[in-house]
Amino acid sequence: MTATTQVPATAAAPARETDSSRHKAQRAARRRRGGAAGVLMAPFFVLLTLVFLIPVCTAVWLSFFSDDQPGLGFGPERTVFVGLRSYAAVLTDPSFLSGLSTVALYCLIYIPVMTVGSLALALLLDSGLVRLRSWAQLGLFLPHAVPGIIAALIWLYLYTPGISPIIDVLGKADITVNFLGLHTAIPSIVNIAVWSNLGYNMVVFYAALQAVPREVLEASVVDGAGPVRTALQVKAPLVRSSIVMVAMFTLIWALQLFTEPMLLRAGSQVVDARFSPSMYIYDAAFSRNNYSLAAAASVILLIITIAVSYGVTRWTNRVNSAEESTR
Amino acid sequence: MPGRQSRRSVLAAITALPLTGALSACSGNDSASSGSSSKSGTKGTTTITFWSALRGSQEVVDAFNKTHDTIQVAFEQIPSGTSGGYLKLSNAARAGNAPDVATIEYPQVPGYAIDGVARDITDVISDKLKAKLLPQALGLTTFEGRTYSVPLDVEPMVLHYRKDLFDKYGFEVPTTWDEYTDLARAVRRTGGKRRVTFFSTDMGQFSGWCWGAGAHWFDTSKGAWNVSLADAPTRRVSQYWQRLIDEDLVYVSPPNSREADAQVGNGLVLTRHSGAWDAGAQMNARPQQKGLWRIAPQPQWDPAKPALGTQGGSTFAITKDSKHPEAAMEFIEWQVSSPDAIKARLSSGASSQYPAVTELIKEGRAAFDRSYYGGQDIYTLFETEAQKISDGWVWGPRMTATGQVMSDAFARAAAGSGTIESSMRAAQDGTMPDLKALGLKTTQHST
Repeated sequence: MTATTQVPATAAAPARETDSSRHKAQRAARRRRGGAAGVLMAPFFVLLTLVFLIPVCTAVWLSFFSDDQPGLGFGPERTVFVGLRSYAAVLTDPSFLSGLSTVALYCLIYIPVMTVGSLALALLLDSGLVRLRSWAQLGLFLPHAVPGIIAALIWLYLYTPGISPIIDVLGKADITVNFLGLHTAIPSIVNIAVWSNLGYNMVVFYAALQAVPREVLEASVVDGAGPVRTALQVKAPLVRSSIVMVAMFTLIWALQLFTEPMLLRAGSQVVDARFSPSMYIYDAAFSRNNYSLAAAASVILLIITIAVSYGVTRWTNRVNSAEESTR
Repeated sequence: MPGRQSRRSVLAAITALPLTGALSACSGNDSASSGSSSKSGTKGTTTITFWSALRGSQEVVDAFNKTHDTIQVAFEQIPSGTSGGYLKLSNAARAGNAPDVATIEYPQVPGYAIDGVARDITDVISDKLKAKLLPQALGLTTFEGRTYSVPLDVEPMVLHYRKDLFDKYGFEVPTTWDEYTDLARAVRRTGGKRRVTFFSTDMGQFSGWCWGAGAHWFDTSKGAWNVSLADAPTRRVSQYWQRLIDEDLVYVSPPNSREADAQVGNGLVLTRHSGAWDAGAQMNARPQQKGLWRIAPQPQWDPAKPALGTQGGSTFAITKDSKHPEAAMEFIEWQVSSPDAIKARLSSGASSQYPAVTELIKEGRAAFDRSYYGGQDIYTLFETEAQKISDGWVWGPRMTATGQVMSDAFARAAAGSGTIESSMRAAQDGTMPDLKALGLKTTQHST
């Protein structure tokens, strides 16, 4: 993209010079640059088509068709166009809707905790208060290197009564906790996700904080701002774009909640087979053998993800421009 | 149908799309589907493949192979249905390499028939075999006049009870549910930590009770799937158990959990409700309790009109992929109706199946080792009980999923959110969209 946007600027300047050979050379250079851009970007578009566009289109196609048998279903199958039937089935399924509300609740807890937590840690590290900064960073980042499925297994061990040392210790102090109970399951899952991803997002914030001009910080110190005030009122607003980005990625990730609840199911029936929309899709395809339903649910989840991301972007842009105009 | 298979394997990848590759392990498969059977080395010998999770299957297969020359069976022990056996079968069928003979429990038969995994065997099954089978059992595998699998065993619900503890406290074996409530209260009063039984938070036990009480969760008599998971008999059973749970007269335990296992193992429960097969499973799981258990008829609502449901029981289906359906049927027929087969199965010491072929009962009676039950002739009891199995019960087209929603809702009810009855309504609500999306004709009349 950068290659093409620069072209008009260079081409407009020598408009009066009618030297055709020079034009030709320029055109050739432009073509070469365009060719290079094409070659460099081709892998991206090939992969985009292969692993995103084709599957999405197939999912959409599938969601409109079904292998139907008339009546009780014991006759021979034939593939028929069913329109929005599968979508209607998904949207009237209380187990899908409850999965959506579960994920909404999860997002409401997880995203603020994650964003505020990782920003606070990054500000702490940046403030120079923390000794052995690189060790602290490594320690915080390390859980992110643990694959999600392993993380969930570790936590399942810590959450399961009877084998968990934590529950044992708390039990000795006469505190009984059920980490996988009706009201604790979602917080327990949030805990796993925070543990895994906190360090990663902290690094993102920390990198953004490194880019804050030192003059601005010096000026704030000269103006009498203490470290806390500098952090909250000078540094944090300056890394706002990173905050939006982290919140957005966290949101997209959270909407696809799957691994953690899927594994925690082994320890608690309260985490049901259709706990989140992604688990609903898995269940529809592999336990219910209902592919149209799974495809329709996938498309609905995709639309929700896109819509929410778009909404968040629009909202932050509006807030940004509103703030700019008041300045 | 090679076209469908390839589409399905593509599908497996697509539905996983937003799941960040969590499901990519489901490998795609060649659509040409080379079947699963193969000719073995010896000429003229047909080798068929057989999957089962049933106890004693290896012994049965060995006995078959020893006595047959032209057909040999390659057996693979697979996990039980809900622990992955059904997923394995569905995936194999999708990939076109399902075994020739698969073991399917009654609740899953309609689903596999609708999906085309279980072949229509109406034209392969002999009239002789049909005549030998208990009609209630065959009825569960026959839809619109077409048969999709052959019943092996049929398991009436019975009451397993701790004879030693009943004697110790001076309790009588209850014959009606009202007496059972009185017993439950008495155990609560005098038994300390003991309870009369546990309510298992899954479908198996509960569906057996509802069936016996006259419920019809599914009905196909009017040319459509009528779903009524919370009909009047079901509500009656729900309220009965809800009261026992609310009065803290029973434990509530997840199915096959360590909890439930400990409650039986440590003598915390005085009775168990399950199918006849569970007698053998109990012998196998807790040899140290030898001599402590006896078996009695399940309590009744109306002793004048006794009625029972079943819990458990398996059938053998020939899959669509099978290249040797006749050989497969010969093996199945031998397995369900030959005295040698039931002897081999019971000699494994871990089975107490009640055969669906009634003429095998005497063989079962002879082959079963009675010492665990203090010499009680349990086969004669089973025979009486099997006659009480109510006719007309139909399992639904997506019973694994229906049972899953029910079981999850039971667990939430046990944790304090909802009741048994609301769980049944949740199961109904979670089943309907599924059936509609499959394009089945459905209705929801409740009695």
